[in-house]
Amino acid sequence: MIPTRARGLVSSVIALCLAAAAAAAQPARHAKVSLVAEADAVRPGQPLWVGIRLQMEDGWHTYWRNPGDSGLPTRARWNLPEAFAAGELKWPYPTRFRTGPLVSYGYEREVLLPAEIRVPPSLPANEVRIAARVDWLECQEACLPGRADVSLALPVRPTSAPGPHAALFAEARRRLPKRDPAWLFSVSPAPSALRLVVRVPHGTALHEAYFYPSAPRLLDYGKPQTLAREGATHRLDLPRDPNGAPAERLAGVLVAETGSGTVAVEVDAPIATGPARTSTIQERKP
Amino acid sequence: MTRNAYVTAFALAALAAVTAPALAQAVVGQPAPPFSLVDSDGRTRSLADFAGKVVVLEWWNYECPFVGKHYGSGNMQKLQREWTAKGVVWLTVSSSAAGKQGHVDGAKANALMKERSGAPTAVLLDHDGKVGRAYGAKTTPHMFVIDPAGRLVYAGGIDDKPSTDRADISTARNYVVAALTEVLAGKPVTTPSSQPYGCGVKYAD
Repeated sequence: MIPTRARGLVSSVIALCLAAAAAAAQPARHAKVSLVAEADAVRPGQPLWVGIRLQMEDGWHTYWRNPGDSGLPTRARWNLPEAFAAGELKWPYPTRFRTGPLVSYGYEREVLLPAEIRVPPSLPANEVRIAARVDWLECQEACLPGRADVSLALPVRPTSAPGPHAALFAEARRRLPKRDPAWLFSVSPAPSALRLVVRVPHGTALHEAYFYPSAPRLLDYGKPQTLAREGATHRLDLPRDPNGAPAERLAGVLVAETGSGTVAVEVDAPIATGPARTSTIQERKP
Repeated sequence: MTRNAYVTAFALAALAAVTAPALAQAVVGQPAPPFSLVDSDGRTRSLADFAGKVVVLEWWNYECPFVGKHYGSGNMQKLQREWTAKGVVWLTVSSSAAGKQGHVDGAKANALMKERSGAPTAVLLDHDGKVGRAYGAKTTPHMFVIDPAGRLVYAGGIDDKPSTDRADISTARNYVVAALTEVLAGKPVTTPSSQPYGCGVKYAD
């Protein structure tokens, strides 16, 4: 499963994880956390993609950036060499977990949360060490907080090749929500709900759709979202959280089942001030 | 697990998801949902008994690490002591169903509170989760404040630092303290709701 040339790096990362686990207060761990890189070397002045890899035991999950009714998002605090900088974690689209009346958003089995590292044009050393303190919450039905200090070392070279974990990055990118100007969204208030009107690209039909809001305190996660088709558009009614915060925009990820598979599209649309008018589609800014 | 057993379990889980009673939600600014529950000493306690007083509801699961943050540090007990001394009624509610994490009977609840030097007015046992569902209690802790007129004036997190890290308590903004301070002074609550954080309440399926 793991290529031979990767074993040394993987086992040193695992050893670091285990050392961190042993030092933390919670001995029980059901998620293995490591830091991996897409390339096999760091090139001066070229961005480097790294990722927090979480591998969960069967039945356990960790959380998306908005965890839903309960839970906590995974967090990374970077420890980087001078003049390096890390971008935000990228979040593949999540799945839903229902426990009784509560719904949370996250990942089962395995996920990679990629982040882009900015690399300065001149590097004094011939090796670069990237480290992060990762905090996460792992839950089955019960929850355990996790913390690990993870790191990796890469040689500095003028060229690089895909590293042993490159396939994980390809898979994570496949699951990252896309910005797609062919999908048009408009949002208007409906009684106790927000109505998301979706105009899909020609020839696309939505069989199922679910909207994951980026921000907490907007939607009631436990109530069903209802999808209806009206001519060339689809509308998805999203029950609001009655104690939610006022909002001017609806941002998040629409995950839809189309005839040709699962599609995850980024949504960021202003909430109209008037009532639902499904005949008007406001074009989303690209 | 055989394939058939797996399929059956899946079908049952799907059925449970459909039939599980939904979560209502107590809405800030409206009358707090009335309730009657037996406490850890076997006494029946009704919200109506506390008319004219400020009431705090604290959702509790002693095995949840977020609850552990606030009890292990002594933060929750300190708040219970401080505010009950000012005439506030503090009701700690357990909605963990039988067989679920944090489930307590009266004796267990009393033993745990004694061990932790807890000082709520009462611990209420909501084993069937009816009161938790009526309030829309999602997490442990999840905090609610009811004013002397019986209106819900705060619903949300205990503070603004969603973590299990005790070190965060000293720098967090405690929303319950802010709400209680304002409601006791007869002022409107500046932050009437916030994002609750913690473990999901372990309701009966």
